[in-house]
Amino acid sequence: MDKILLKLVGIFKNVFNSQGIDYARMMTIVETKLTMDKRRVYMSWKQKQQKKENANHLNGVLFFYALMGMFVAILLFAFPSLMLGMILVHTYVLFMMSMTLITDFSTVLLDTTDNQVILPKPITSKTLFMARLVHILIYLLQFTIAIAVLPIGVAFFKYGFFVGLVMIFTVLLTVLMAVFITYLLYLLIIRFSSESRVKDIVTYFQIFMTVIFTVGFQVLPRMISLSQLTQTFQLHWYSYLLPPVWMAMAIDAIANLQFDALHLGMIALAFVVPIFTFWFMNKYLAPSFAKKLAAMNNGDNEKRDANTIITQQEKKPLSKIFSSMVCTLPLEKSGFEITWKITGRDKSFKLQFYPSMAYIAVFIFIFVFKSGEDLTTAWNTLSDKNVFLAFFYVPMMTISGSLMIVAFNENYLASWIYHSLPINKPGELIAGMVKSLFIKFFIPVYAALAIFCFYIWGINVLDDALFAFANNLFCFLIFANLSDHYLPFSRQPNTQQQSGKFLKAILQMIIVGITIFIHYILIKTNLSWLLWALIPVLFIACLLLIKRLQNLSWQQISI
Amino acid sequence: MSIIQLKQLKKEYNGNFVLKGIDLAFNAGEIIGYIGPNGAGKSTTIKILTGIINDFWGEVTVLGMDVRKNPIEIKQRIGYIPEQAALYEVLSPIEYLNFVGKLYQLDESLIYKKSMDLLKLFELDDKANMRMNGFSKGMKQKVLLISGLIHNPEIIFLDEPLSGLDANAVILVKEILAQLKNAGKTIFYSSHIMDVVEKISDRIIIINKGEVIADGTFESLKAEAHKGSLENIFTALTGDSGYQTTAHDFVNILKN
Repeated sequence: MDKILLKLVGIFKNVFNSQGIDYARMMTIVETKLTMDKRRVYMSWKQKQQKKENANHLNGVLFFYALMGMFVAILLFAFPSLMLGMILVHTYVLFMMSMTLITDFSTVLLDTTDNQVILPKPITSKTLFMARLVHILIYLLQFTIAIAVLPIGVAFFKYGFFVGLVMIFTVLLTVLMAVFITYLLYLLIIRFSSESRVKDIVTYFQIFMTVIFTVGFQVLPRMISLSQLTQTFQLHWYSYLLPPVWMAMAIDAIANLQFDALHLGMIALAFVVPIFTFWFMNKYLAPSFAKKLAAMNNGDNEKRDANTIITQQEKKPLSKIFSSMVCTLPLEKSGFEITWKITGRDKSFKLQFYPSMAYIAVFIFIFVFKSGEDLTTAWNTLSDKNVFLAFFYVPMMTISGSLMIVAFNENYLASWIYHSLPINKPGELIAGMVKSLFIKFFIPVYAALAIFCFYIWGINVLDDALFAFANNLFCFLIFANLSDHYLPFSRQPNTQQQSGKFLKAILQMIIVGITIFIHYILIKTNLSWLLWALIPVLFIACLLLIKRLQNLSWQQISI
Repeated sequence: MSIIQLKQLKKEYNGNFVLKGIDLAFNAGEIIGYIGPNGAGKSTTIKILTGIINDFWGEVTVLGMDVRKNPIEIKQRIGYIPEQAALYEVLSPIEYLNFVGKLYQLDESLIYKKSMDLLKLFELDDKANMRMNGFSKGMKQKVLLISGLIHNPEIIFLDEPLSGLDANAVILVKEILAQLKNAGKTIFYSSHIMDVVEKISDRIIIINKGEVIADGTFESLKAEAHKGSLENIFTALTGDSGYQTTAHDFVNILKN
């Protein structure tokens, strides 16, 4: 796609040259930058890309964007209301473009290599500026086309030529708004925090983006059947503050030839605001932004150090408090604390693990709200159905994944330290790690879901909640005992999975299945006393499983 | 006429003066070592001389041209090799050199031939088409060295040219610098430590906290250091200074 866009730029060759821009050098920079875009690892797709080193990452990303666009296009097709369909499409464009710019373009924006590589070369600042602008435009256009081509196609097909044509304009205006939002956000972040914080914040946006993708693919197709809901669709006064509504109203005006005061006002907003903000951004925000970035690169080292020291002091207690509560052995304590701290700071762990947590919401959604059922009735009849087991057992499905992920780290070579220390039972480290993961990730999620269940079903599900908790802990420890034992953060990322994994996975599934089945039978047969009686039995079993972990010897540790 | 001239060069960042009035002039064909501890202002000086930074006080001319007025002409005729192996790592060496060469407006086939030949000399020809993400720092430094020299510049600026290179590459670079000098090039390099290359320098400038504190040949500076005036800074820069007390304290703390 970029080749075609580059050809389009070529048409204006003489215009560039007449403006004192060195066309050949500009194109050299733009082409190189586009090549690098293709090779960059796109954070929102990191896990999916790990296999193929030489593939064109960008095309893969664009394909998935187009796929998401297809769902939106289908919705636009299915919705009887033009307004609602258009609001949805423009919200989608605005959201996707802002998120893409924030997460993936940040690497380009915050990269200072540019300054060192290009500035020493004989290039006028005018040419360099134009090269950057052309690159950004091509980059944006590629994404815009991927995101919006199918919805625009549907608009042409369903609402006719003029609506389609106008929609091309409104989509482009929406992209301008997305650029403005991104800019404003970065300006705010840079204004109030240091460089390392900026990178942290971008990481959280990346996590959020991955979650949206994960959830979006599950939930969007299900929404298509909900289109009958939309007959009662009403705009509130505050909806008129949202850019997608302006765009939708502008299209609505053209489609139905309605030009009352409200529609005209909306058309004016749709065109004036993006263009004005863009002008404002170029004139006032961009220069100060560039200055701030430059200052950031020249590094206020002392300031940054002060920041990290403060955060360290703030973070210190939590892991210490818990480790002294649940760990008895010193080695276990340090395993607990290091796991707690590194999982909280390591970007790749966060990027792999947190998005998978989104599946908890997705699975509960799927189990509880069966398709074809109205959302509101499903919600109102929720307390009549005994689906709380889904709430109690779904979290373990994804949180047990942390046991696998925690072994990997880009800094895996640092694990030499374990091997060089006089450690007798490395299992104690692993026991600490397992406890840390359970307390840090499982308990908060479980507590939140349990409180939700108490709210819906009343306090009489307390015995179930406790039993399920013991059951979950038991399962977690079974997983930890059955899987290959790796020391925390000791494996090189992207290494091959061990064989024999499949059998173990089946075994795990069977064990979980049995425990959930027992719980289910006990509810069905109303043997509440047995539930209470089994809780201490399970906890004793857990203690034994922890003991077994603690006693693992070096021979049982995989490297 | 001096090939590089600095008059009362001052530069400040956020109210701190990192250069406090530098006056220097260099002749063509010299190897100049610009030495000083970290934070002395070495990189800033080089960035000003190469036209990367253009807001400063004072007058700076390179090749007889004002760096503020004719940065493009100057940049075309000089080469700059930055520190910290700053290059586009997702490209292969050939792609990167092609990119840089085209920015210097060299012919594409010439760039390719030169690049391959030079990579071969650095024993990188088998990696010419591999992405540089996996390269060691020394390998990247070699690619950078080629990229800064490919247009055959008259003056070569190097920022910490030896960091990350293995012993053999250091000797090779040292020899290349000497040969470049024989070919009439002017070489200006910075370093935070007196190293083997200092001995081939015609002139060594020591700067500290934004001020020139010594100027002369390696031999003359060594002699001055023995007289006492330069002793501390010189021993710190040559790396064999009196750290015995610190080391002694270190070992003592371990005993407790």
